[in-house]
Amino acid sequence: MTAVAPTPAAYPVSDHVLDNGLRVLVSPDHGAPVVAVNLWYDVGSRDEEPGRTGFAHLFEHVMFQGSANVASGAHIGLLQAAGASVNATTWFDRTNYFETLPVGGLDLALWLEADRMGSLLDALTEENLNTQREVVKEEKRQRYDNVPYGDVMQRLNSLTFPAEHPYGHTTIGSMDDLDAASLEDAHTFFKKHYLPNNAVVSVVGDVTVEHALARVEHYFGGLTAGELPAHPQAGVLGPLDGTQREETSADVPAEAVYLAWRLPARGTRAFDALDLFFSVLGHGQTSRLHRSLVRDAEVAESSGAASTGLIGGNSFGYAYARARGGQELAEVEDALVAQVDRLAAEGPTPTELQRAKAQYERHWLHELSRVDSRADALSEYATLEHDPGLVNTRMAEVDAVGAEDVAAAVAEWFSSDRRATLVYRKASA
Amino acid sequence: MSTSDRTTSWQADPQPGVAAPGAWSFPEPTLSTLGNGIELVCFDLPGQHVVSAHLVLDTPLNGEDRDLEGVATIAARTMDEGTQAHPGEEFAELLETEGAGFGIEVSLSGLQAVLDVPASHLERAFELFAEAVTQPQISDADAARHVQIRLAQIEQAYANSAQLASMAFRESVFAPSSRASRMSGGEAASVTRVDGAAARRFHAEHVGPAGASLVLAGDFGGVDPQALAERWFGGWSNDAQVRTPHEQTTPAPRRHVVLHRAGAVQADVRYGGFGIDRSDPRWPAASVATYAMGGAFLSRLNAVLREEKGYTYGVRMSLTPLRSAGSFNIGGSFRTDVVADAVRLAAELADVSDRPFTAAEVADAVTYSTGISPLRYATADGVADQAAVNRLVGLGDDYVTRNLAELRDVTPEAATQAYGSLVHVDALTLVVVGDADVIADPLRALGFDDLEVVRAEG
Repeated sequence: MTAVAPTPAAYPVSDHVLDNGLRVLVSPDHGAPVVAVNLWYDVGSRDEEPGRTGFAHLFEHVMFQGSANVASGAHIGLLQAAGASVNATTWFDRTNYFETLPVGGLDLALWLEADRMGSLLDALTEENLNTQREVVKEEKRQRYDNVPYGDVMQRLNSLTFPAEHPYGHTTIGSMDDLDAASLEDAHTFFKKHYLPNNAVVSVVGDVTVEHALARVEHYFGGLTAGELPAHPQAGVLGPLDGTQREETSADVPAEAVYLAWRLPARGTRAFDALDLFFSVLGHGQTSRLHRSLVRDAEVAESSGAASTGLIGGNSFGYAYARARGGQELAEVEDALVAQVDRLAAEGPTPTELQRAKAQYERHWLHELSRVDSRADALSEYATLEHDPGLVNTRMAEVDAVGAEDVAAAVAEWFSSDRRATLVYRKASA
Repeated sequence: MSTSDRTTSWQADPQPGVAAPGAWSFPEPTLSTLGNGIELVCFDLPGQHVVSAHLVLDTPLNGEDRDLEGVATIAARTMDEGTQAHPGEEFAELLETEGAGFGIEVSLSGLQAVLDVPASHLERAFELFAEAVTQPQISDADAARHVQIRLAQIEQAYANSAQLASMAFRESVFAPSSRASRMSGGEAASVTRVDGAAARRFHAEHVGPAGASLVLAGDFGGVDPQALAERWFGGWSNDAQVRTPHEQTTPAPRRHVVLHRAGAVQADVRYGGFGIDRSDPRWPAASVATYAMGGAFLSRLNAVLREEKGYTYGVRMSLTPLRSAGSFNIGGSFRTDVVADAVRLAAELADVSDRPFTAAEVADAVTYSTGISPLRYATADGVADQAAVNRLVGLGDDYVTRNLAELRDVTPEAATQAYGSLVHVDALTLVVVGDADVIADPLRALGFDDLEVVRAEG
């Protein structure tokens, strides 16, 4: 039984490395007169120094504060005025910068990206850093501190990984560490990580390989490589031992319980197997958790499960249920644990596994149908797994995961005592 | 490879120019009519392997009974919880096994049933799609459960500062007689009254082929979309279907209010008023002006409140059109100690009487809007979403292309004039959700003398 449709034609991927080590991926697509430019720097929150959590993300903001030939804020201003959508994100394993715009703006986009890769520090001032520090603190308040359950991910990370582990803190970091970040930190960080040989640039859209490559070479070729920084070596941690448990309370409308697991790193058959397992457990209306907790027993108002693939030795996964009004949270936790244990013990049915793959396929095809997300996928697979061709082979890899792979991965990582528990209660008024 | 001090060796070219964008227009659909009158709007998009289908139903929410508001949402959410042919969980299992995503979106102007599915699974998924819309089971148990889930969602929304601000703004800017003043999914008092019988009655009386459009977009992989639509929807009839005229939304008197959240580290601000819809002749000029004021990254508002002051992660001014009329607001989250100063600056910046929009601002807004269109409409679901909205609010299938042409004709004078006709800074409604003990007095000191403070009970 297979869930996979006849494969659409493979996307062209042209893979080059400039003399300075910058990896360049070009994928022509003449469907619309637009081009996506996407850069991944191989630096994320896992690379932060002790006492500087949140710095990689703060630095992403600093990257928009101008460079030798670009005024503060002008990076986005110039691109938007050329019809671009522009943004950047920071995550455990990466910082990416991207813009998609009418193809006549390709040179502008490349020039802007090269200028900041080459000369960011020429323009960086204490004042700019301080303003962006305030902006980032507002972002933290808006997205985490002033919303119900906003601290859950930080708590789950702390339960799942030791504090000093690269994944032991979240990307947003702490207010104290943001306050402590100095101009000197920014100089050191830039010189260490923002190197052409620590980056990948992908160009996808209405271009030829020759033209795109020549323009990238023209703007980035003059940059000088540096010593490639090493990522912190945390090794591979084994599963949790089941003793991690935390109870917290806050002003939230419903009580909730979360379970978290250490998982194997992405890019492995075991991770793919567990990713499908989490999908069966908690993704969609037919998932085990929704059916049992929300639909049948009616003890939860919502439930779910998801995995986060990470490259540095381990990944992370969690499941949750939010109690229906009047339900004892202990009963909700028991019901959640019972479903997790049951699925771990019996494994997904063949239909459930097929369904998880079919859902993966739709998300995957949808992701690749846009030039911007295709460019991001190329940069991602080149940076983390050193194989941009995965955009064409990934679906077959996932489809090849069998019930025996799921059983083996579950046995190693998922038995019932290998999780952490977070109990989230309503604060008493 | 060698290491050197990169900060001193960098030599850059002068800033490159930008070549004029290539011609682009929104895809043109093939139009036809099914046997039962459903209008088919079909986009053949080669290479788009996930097909998107939107069935747009002419069911404006002002057709709900006032004391059963939310019934459309409960009906919509139970429609894929089992059908007469495939009761209970079996239905969702079949649909998800095809790799399909299905949902029913509820908006003020009507419902949209949405299917996304890989082209290779289109036939079977489409059959199930039609089944959910035309012959849902809507059991008492499913409706009761969705009422409880909806009530929990309402509680979650009230606990979220930003959502609470948006709800309170909507309630403040539209008259209580307008359905638009209340949540599309219904408020707690009316949702509580909904049961299975009410949801089934709503489906029976309001969901039918009259006035419906079916939008299909994607690479159909050899399947004839017209025949497909006819096969699964062409025989659908509903003699009991009642058509509801769409409401004319009306404004409420302006209001200044703080909703108290003790100890909140930020305050969510919504500062704006009653506005226009996309059929208003001022729409293109007003959207250009709004982008310059609060849409661009370096907009007048964001350049000062974020990039200069560091008061916020971002401030936006946006137009929110309904089918008739709409609203506009300046919105953002600001840390508690600066919120009054942020409102003061926003009010100052929002007044353009001495600072009309410039030719450069207008040119940037137009290039931005035209530039992002090819990307926004690059996928089957992007095209289908917009085409469905065009049908839902009666804009015409050529709306996007027509609007882009009109944008190119906007002058700085027209932008300033359209903006000035909408935004009277002294007459705007202000809603702030935050710690009233800290922010109310500074706001009153700005001249909001009639500021109400609302404190939740308990």
